[in-house]
Amino acid sequence: MFRKILIANRGEIALRIIWACRELGIKTVAIYSTADRDSLHVRFADEDVCIGPPRNTDSYLKIGAVIAAAEITDADAIHPGYGFLAESAHFAEVCEACRIRFIGPSPQVIRLMGDKARAREAAAAAGVPVLPGSKGAVMTEADATRLAARIGYPIIVKASAGGGGRGMRIVPGAEQLAPAMSAARTEAQAAFGVPDVYLEKYLRNPRHIEFQVLGDSFGNVVHLGERECSIQRRHQKILEESPSTALSPKLRRRMADAAMKLARAAGYQNAGTLEFLLDEDGRFYFMEMNTRIQVEHPVTEMVTGIDLIKEQIKIAAGESLGFRQEDISHTGHAIECRVNAEDPVTFVPSPGTITTFHLPGGPGVRVDTAAHPECRIPPYYDSMVAKLITRGNNRMEAISRMRRSLEVMVVEGIKTNIPLHRRILNDPDFVRGNLDTGFLDRLLEQKNEAVAAS
Amino acid sequence: MILDDEIKELMRYIESSSFTEFEIEREGFKLKLVRRLPQASNGDVPLAPPAAEAPRPQHPAPASTVPAARVAEVEPADVHQVMSPIVGTFYRSSAPDAKAFVSPGDRVSKGQVLCIVEAMKLMNEIESDCDGEVLEILVANGQPVEYGEPLFKLRTSGIRPV
Repeated sequence: MFRKILIANRGEIALRIIWACRELGIKTVAIYSTADRDSLHVRFADEDVCIGPPRNTDSYLKIGAVIAAAEITDADAIHPGYGFLAESAHFAEVCEACRIRFIGPSPQVIRLMGDKARAREAAAAAGVPVLPGSKGAVMTEADATRLAARIGYPIIVKASAGGGGRGMRIVPGAEQLAPAMSAARTEAQAAFGVPDVYLEKYLRNPRHIEFQVLGDSFGNVVHLGERECSIQRRHQKILEESPSTALSPKLRRRMADAAMKLARAAGYQNAGTLEFLLDEDGRFYFMEMNTRIQVEHPVTEMVTGIDLIKEQIKIAAGESLGFRQEDISHTGHAIECRVNAEDPVTFVPSPGTITTFHLPGGPGVRVDTAAHPECRIPPYYDSMVAKLITRGNNRMEAISRMRRSLEVMVVEGIKTNIPLHRRILNDPDFVRGNLDTGFLDRLLEQKNEAVAAS
Repeated sequence: MILDDEIKELMRYIESSSFTEFEIEREGFKLKLVRRLPQASNGDVPLAPPAAEAPRPQHPAPASTVPAARVAEVEPADVHQVMSPIVGTFYRSSAPDAKAFVSPGDRVSKGQVLCIVEAMKLMNEIESDCDGEVLEILVANGQPVEYGEPLFKLRTSGIRPV
């Protein structure tokens, strides 16, 4: 087992990793930018190193500074968390070259899954259903036109190196194809440094269902069930739950089998997530694989009782999975609300200093956060302030617990999206489990209409 | 009422002075400016006392918690600190048996190499950002340094370029 782990991240996930290390008896090193000097991850780690000024590219994304911090503190592993360097194959390679264990999959697998077009090919080759679309990147407009006609409109143009909704264009008909292609290429070039795009059949308002997998270095692969992440705004997840109301036991088994088939084919090690789109007829398609721990991992932890961060660390240290598929049981229902520092109506980020901060508690409530009274939410990083997670014996109990938790959660000094979460939790379609990726847009439209009518 | 521009000007003035705190109160208006010294370590969060094993105890407390009596101890204006621009290991010379780049009492000019900070096997030469006389070397040879950690104290007044 590792002696000391450097955490190459900040905020709640850095704390989450510190807790796991504490429980495993591993020393921790926090790294921070000057904007995070007073952060809790700095306070609660055993050691801390300031690695640069606030800008990402000069601190948390600066590979040389992160590695140097690991070297001067003699850390034997780095946990990248999510975001920042978590899916940088290059960073994983540098760690390897410096004999520091990267807690995640191999650089080869990160690179394969990071190239969305190649990942699609790998999925298709493993027999996992993918949306009809181009084989790899589409280079010319003529190719795109021919292909799009064969797939059938609407189609979606996506950046090969993409993610987070950037470099993505929905094309309703042939006449919009050329401008959408060039816009997506420009955006992809600007955001990812690679202009390659590929085409896919566009599903209107599918569900977003993802499967959590774990693989060890002995070839064991298990899945920990699904998470429903259909409540999104501009491809950013806002609320997640497990299990999904849309999966029958049979469909769950088929999707889990597909997820494990691809994970095995890729020789996947450590924690990973396979994202699928599910249409109204119960057909599912592989979308992409995330080769890291995800923001929404707690909902899986709450229904399986498995600590995913500890598993990541144990796998990276060369231990075998301590359980088989049949040992994993799912009980109850869990929901996570991402509380963001943003205006609940306009979604404009709202950084600043939190004056009052009160967290809910009681049975079935978990809060993952690095915020506290008088802490500053700096404008340089993402706007998530806390993850509020509730678990119940069934979905309705989880919903009731989330409603009462949102009512007593007090964050003053900045604006948050708590009012939006309250609306979602009280929406009849949400309560019935009638979800798809168009849910939030429809909810927001209702509000606008109500305002216009009054 | 003070205008934004006036606040900015105040901030600029305080930045160039040796003040760490400035407070003004008028009816219906209160302004408090606190300058955090770059060497401030963590420990500003009013949640719990700092852990006993908190690293680098030699660092002074952040400006906001410095008692009034200690503000007077702030360095005179002509003492300049050279900070480490990167994380790494501090070396006073280019090789174990080589002569130190600088020693206390030496006159240095802007752009002159003062030390090396090694990061990922790369030897980064750290240059002086002003003319001055080396008063003190704040870290030991071979010691790890953070971004922004003070390395040297230089006196800048009465110095002519060498």
